[in-house]
Amino acid sequence: MTTAGTLGNVDVSDLSHTYAAKGQKSKALDSISLNVETGRFLSIVGPSGCGKSSLLMMLAGLIRPTSGSIRVGGRPMEGPDPSRIGVVFQEASLYPWLTAQSNVEFPLSLRGVDKKIRQARALEALALVGLEGFANSYPHELSGGMKQRVSIARGLVQDPPILLMDEPFAALDEQTRITMGDELLRIWDKTRKTVIFVTHGLSEAIYLSDEVIVLSGRPGRILDRVEVDLPRPRTLEMMSEPRFVALREQIWRQIKS
Amino acid sequence: MRSEIKITLLRIGIILAVFGAWEFAPRVELIDARLLPPLSDVLATLRQLLSTAKFWSHLAATLHVTIVAFLIAVPLGAVLGILIAESRFALEVFKPLIFFIFSIPKSIFLPIFILVFGIAFWQKVAFGIFSTIFIVMMTAFAAVESVRADHLRVARSYGATTFQTVTRVYLPSMTPVLLEAVRLAMIFNFTGILLAEMYASREGIGNVIGAWGQGFQLKQLLAAILLVAGLSIIFNETIRYFERKCEHWRG
Repeated sequence: MTTAGTLGNVDVSDLSHTYAAKGQKSKALDSISLNVETGRFLSIVGPSGCGKSSLLMMLAGLIRPTSGSIRVGGRPMEGPDPSRIGVVFQEASLYPWLTAQSNVEFPLSLRGVDKKIRQARALEALALVGLEGFANSYPHELSGGMKQRVSIARGLVQDPPILLMDEPFAALDEQTRITMGDELLRIWDKTRKTVIFVTHGLSEAIYLSDEVIVLSGRPGRILDRVEVDLPRPRTLEMMSEPRFVALREQIWRQIKS
Repeated sequence: MRSEIKITLLRIGIILAVFGAWEFAPRVELIDARLLPPLSDVLATLRQLLSTAKFWSHLAATLHVTIVAFLIAVPLGAVLGILIAESRFALEVFKPLIFFIFSIPKSIFLPIFILVFGIAFWQKVAFGIFSTIFIVMMTAFAAVESVRADHLRVARSYGATTFQTVTRVYLPSMTPVLLEAVRLAMIFNFTGILLAEMYASREGIGNVIGAWGQGFQLKQLLAAILLVAGLSIIFNETIRYFERKCEHWRG
């Protein structure tokens, strides 16, 4: 499950998006350009309503941008493409009538993948996120963190080179959020996928990422791209180190202004 | 667990107490047995009624009308409701109108149905459908609302076709609510048809119940009431059983 080469490259150029709501036009994103190399962990932060989630939905092919282009793995994105992109949403959005395993199998079953292969891949993905033994549990039997793990397994089950995550841990309690961050880094280290991670947690963004993109308030523009030059593996102690604190302040100052 | 047993025992106790009072109050002449014949007499009458072909033909007539009206009203109401709820515009136009009509007691329209359809089979069917279809439509609105936007988005982001979205997301989301529609539909449908039979008809359980009431034949009247009550409860509980089965995932 390792991604190499350029399949996981994401190139966004001059992307803008304007919503038409109740007859009024409202610009959500303004000329966003960015490129992410395969295997990088990139976070997007910004004030609420800056369009960071919209940007992610555009990368996922779920929203069509008003102008500009998105290329994933060198090819343009024209709609949802689960072979190139897996998405993890804020709400785990599992189907409550399906078991954990069937939820993970869902993307494969849509493509008519053979049942045996489907099961094997789902169990493999569940093991990767540390949920072996919970294949037959229903979502209501799982904790918030476990549900989000299932959702990550679902995003990874087709082995796409890119994983998009839209505030995936926002609904979890602090302790679970930190554990899930470490889990995510472990999974990322194992699979080396490109991860684009939207969050409003600055510490979380720095802790996880190679690079943090800072967006402005509406309409969202890129204010800064902050290279996180902290060594890996990341540890909780790093969060109180001067370099971490300095990065956090740098980002905070830009968001505030 | 212990309190569950307690609750069940209490329920059974209440039922037995009611039946017990029904049996013994007339026997000890607390109540005039002409007004309330003892339960055992009523049950004997019921057994006797069930051994006559005439009673069965009344029962069959009512069930025939009920089933036909039900089989038309439920799919029709569900499909109309879903189609309306699927379009935000149509929903805004029709939802309040359906609610208005729902709030009117359907019984006041019964004379109009007689004027239009006469008092034969299709009048009962039409009135049954009319009594039922609005509650089915309203429940169908709720069924569509129970489909979560984020569930649809997941399906879309993993490339589901329209057909897959319907079968994999819409149907499982809506099934418990639609089963509730079926259950409520039968209650409304049965009520409407019995009323139509009591009001004006030549046959049917409602018809004989009306006649026995007017003729002061309380044993027969109460026997028929017991039978109709029993049938309704059995139907309702059967659907509720399936509802619970489909809802196990709600936790």
